[in-house]
Amino acid sequence: MKARKVKHLDPDGTLADNAQRVVSVRLDELFDFVPAVLDPKSVKKLHAMRIAAKRLRYVLEVAAANCFGPYALTATKRVRELQDLLGEIHDCDIQLPRVQRIRVELSDEAVAELRTRAAGAADLDPALASGLPHSEDWAGLAALEHYLTVRRGLLYDQFTTVWRDIERSAMRARLEYAIAERPSIGGEQAESSVTIR
Amino acid sequence: MIAGGCCNSVIGSAELAPARDTEVMAKARPIPGLSAQMRYSDAATATIAVRSEELFDHAAGVLDVTNIEAVHAMRVATRRLRSVLEFYEPCLDRDQLKPILKQVCDLADVLGQRRDPDVEIQALQGFAAAATDGERPGIERFIARTSEQQQQANAELAEMLARIESDDLRGALAALIAPTAPPTPPLPSTAGQPNEPGATTPPELPEDQSTTAKSGWLRRR
Repeated sequence: MKARKVKHLDPDGTLADNAQRVVSVRLDELFDFVPAVLDPKSVKKLHAMRIAAKRLRYVLEVAAANCFGPYALTATKRVRELQDLLGEIHDCDIQLPRVQRIRVELSDEAVAELRTRAAGAADLDPALASGLPHSEDWAGLAALEHYLTVRRGLLYDQFTTVWRDIERSAMRARLEYAIAERPSIGGEQAESSVTIR
Repeated sequence: MIAGGCCNSVIGSAELAPARDTEVMAKARPIPGLSAQMRYSDAATATIAVRSEELFDHAAGVLDVTNIEAVHAMRVATRRLRSVLEFYEPCLDRDQLKPILKQVCDLADVLGQRRDPDVEIQALQGFAAAATDGERPGIERFIARTSEQQQQANAELAEMLARIESDDLRGALAALIAPTAPPTPPLPSTAGQPNEPGATTPPELPEDQSTTAKSGWLRRR
């Protein structure tokens, strides 16, 4: 997923004003994945959301502490947690098909061996199916497949809980407010001059 | 070449370097002098300098597959550098930036390809340790497949590091942010300014500073 272009960036402007514009766009990018990602089967969207979270996180890492109000640091932490969780889900989504592919591969080899053993026979003697190659591997691969399937489900449940918390805590609105704040200068909190369009 | 030990080498004594503390490596280094009112383009110079240094400092030990945190730390450093290059893109010379960004992205991809099997093998070893004797062979077969991927990815990483060295990515990054003028003083607070995009009033700079700020590596919009 390509990052959205951020308009009106100005090398002569302040770091904070420019960072505010970037964060605002990256925040929209992240939240635009809802409701699509509320379907557990939306593997590609969940992966793209992880990338969006990563983009937001890294901009916040550059700017949160120096440029924005205090909530920006809290939001940075939340986004990092979200990104990590989406990363764990993505790992399951990558590993599960690989385990399944190996099972199919080994199964094909076992079937090919059995066909060789049965060559010329009109019917198949059950004894020929004993001791086929890779028979010792099935239990472990099945256990792994089951583990990844169930873990992915649990992680996805965690994701929906985390996302609900993000929405309940009004993270988006609070971060939008925080990026318009500027660190206090001479004891007074300054405000941004930026209007996000 | 990779473990050549040359002081200008990208990875120096990569294969001999000891493991570092993960927590220390994962934390981004602070950018000295970075402030909200700093000019965006000056912040670019300061930030990219630190993030570039971080990348090359974390290159030690990445080809050692028994020290998986080294790859992780370099990958994180690469991501951070990439994100600041993208973040500060309007301040940088596009022609200089493009090949640098491509190389940093390629490096991030190759490090990711090495990191994925690293993490997977670690998790699978934990899974195998909890498995029954009957289940272990299948899990070990999967680990063996993942180890093959890890070795292949490590070879690609070695090639990539050699390319970075021969292409002098470090030098290109230094040239990208090479100052042609002293950093400009912080801009005044934007509080109370008109609330329009791009409406930030340019500060009244002394003639020499406002002139020099328009030259050199800064790309004006």
